[in-house]
Amino acid sequence: MSASLTKVLIANRGEIAVRLIRGCREMGLKTVAVYSECDRTAQHVRHADQAYAIGPNPPRQSYLRIDRIIDAARASGADAVHPGYGFLAENPEFARACRDAGLIFIGPTPEAMDLMGSKTAARAVAIAAGVPVVPGTKEPLGPEAPMADVARIAAEVGYPILIKAVSGGGGKGMRTVTDPAELASALRAARSEALSAFGDPAVYIERRVMRPRHIEIQLLGDHHGTVVPFVERECSIQRRHQKVVEESPSLQVNPGTRRALAAAAAAVARGVGYTNAGTIEFLLDQNGEFFFLEMNTRLQVEHPITELVTLTDLVHWQLRIARGERLDLDPEQALVPRGHAIECRIYAEDPDRDFLPSPGRITAMRLPAGPGIRCDDCGAVAGADVPVSYDPLIAKLSAWAVDRPTAIARMARALGEYDVRGIKTTIPFFRWLLADPDFLAGRFDTTFIDRALACRNGQPFQEVPPEDEHLSIVAAAVHAMTQKTAAASPAAAAAGDGRWKRHARNQGLR
Amino acid sequence: MELQIDIGGRTRTVIVETKDGQYHVTSDGETWLADVAVIDGATYSVIFPDRGYASQEVGVAVVGPNGDLSVHLASGITTVGRPTGAGRFGGRGAQAAQSVGARQVVAPMPGKVVRVLVKPGDQVKARQGLVVVEAMKMENELRSPKDGRIVSVLITEGTSVEAGRPLVVVE
Repeated sequence: MSASLTKVLIANRGEIAVRLIRGCREMGLKTVAVYSECDRTAQHVRHADQAYAIGPNPPRQSYLRIDRIIDAARASGADAVHPGYGFLAENPEFARACRDAGLIFIGPTPEAMDLMGSKTAARAVAIAAGVPVVPGTKEPLGPEAPMADVARIAAEVGYPILIKAVSGGGGKGMRTVTDPAELASALRAARSEALSAFGDPAVYIERRVMRPRHIEIQLLGDHHGTVVPFVERECSIQRRHQKVVEESPSLQVNPGTRRALAAAAAAVARGVGYTNAGTIEFLLDQNGEFFFLEMNTRLQVEHPITELVTLTDLVHWQLRIARGERLDLDPEQALVPRGHAIECRIYAEDPDRDFLPSPGRITAMRLPAGPGIRCDDCGAVAGADVPVSYDPLIAKLSAWAVDRPTAIARMARALGEYDVRGIKTTIPFFRWLLADPDFLAGRFDTTFIDRALACRNGQPFQEVPPEDEHLSIVAAAVHAMTQKTAAASPAAAAAGDGRWKRHARNQGLR
Repeated sequence: MELQIDIGGRTRTVIVETKDGQYHVTSDGETWLADVAVIDGATYSVIFPDRGYASQEVGVAVVGPNGDLSVHLASGITTVGRPTGAGRFGGRGAQAAQSVGARQVVAPMPGKVVRVLVKPGDQVKARQGLVVVEAMKMENELRSPKDGRIVSVLITEGTSVEAGRPLVVVE
């Protein structure tokens, strides 16, 4: 089976749309962008070969409109669709709609998505594949389940428990319960959040593994039955269950554990006949035992670090697999890490206001560069607005080096160069994190960030050392003076280098 | 030029002059000599001849409704109150004669006021909580930008607010 692939519609926006366009271009494929009103000037629109408007800003009226996206694919002559991550990436109805329209969907089958998208069904697949799972319920608990049953199940699973949304993700619809007396109210809260975030109030119960590491295995599956797992990603640095920093490889995983994780991940993927890119998530406890958590049937946000340490291009492989090519990677080499990579997710959020989104106009932007730096950014430039309608991820900054300390040094250096003005970003938070002794020593688990933030007692991230205060004074004073000079004298306002600048300075002296 | 600038919760009187193509900036009894080149827009290269020719790149951006400045240094970012002050050549102008000026605390995004923590006349400190606004299922405590006095409270508990809506004025 060999399918022809010439033009790919990217059903997404922001940094991932740019990254996918680059991957397609490198393979000689044409690209089609779709955009909402506020994304008219976004980089993915400017870089694609064709671009179609698909509606007003709210995702429900644009990036989630299956009909409009399929229409754009037809109108543009695209023969394939790449869903990116988020939005419709794990929506089986969208995958089916593409298939029905004769479009190649760059991702797994709708059937695999259906199966692995339900957390309880996915756990059943893992158990059938002989992979350990976190102790928990087999069946989802809908709102009609009697409280007495839920209490009994919770006691069987064993406290502390985690109530999780069956259709959930991203940390929403989750509640920890340590005391049985809190079960009823936690259940109500979790259901309500699950209903509003995912439209499904069904929950399931899992044992809460204390102080776990979140380790995930990237894999690729072709249409010929071959599954190749890769070096693990360490994703334990999370704030409120959302990943903020990812690394590869993990300091906690030795080659033996790596093989075991890879074998388990591949077994689960083969168990559902998985094709294209996917990731299996595990929890690693303090004893080095691991448990299957869930499977993500899409390309993930943090895929760059795997690309950096395994010298692969996952997007190229996604396209090649979709074309029917065989995975001719050496599976042994896919499990050998080359150097160390770290990624920071840079968000337009204010770390001094509990990471509240900080939409608004960017007035200046300077991206980091230099050795070992990969910046997958959304292409926002000075003058662009960070919209309120979407997840405010402005870039994924990755650093690669021969070892972890050097990768950290490179990341710290790059964060110092990364200057974004006009909005608040999480860059000051990352600068603090990359200097934290526990982070440097690799002493962390999924509770680390929340605990470390609590210890700061509201001390602002946005601050400068007292010895640099004079710089702020000089900067503000110089700025006020140059603004006044520019306003007063048009010649000075046009000042560039050399003669004109000297002229401007002279004007200021009179 | 004489300016009043709020830095670190305290108002400073800053005198800026240019002589022989260099800036002389004085505040709190200290003077800094600076060689300044404009890189672009609001990015400056500053070299301090008196301090071992220390070289710094500083970026400035206007943030918020009051014209406050965000100052970007290699060591971090800090917010500085909008410099107010006299004409170019020193002396006091009308602006400098009044206090540094009333500052508005506004809603950062659409939401609902769930708690008002101050009333007009209250003395407040920089970073003290003034209003709690609920937005995107999270409660967000908005804090005072400076030490001062509450001039007015423009909303009540339960008010729905849009982004940019002034909530409290601090002087």
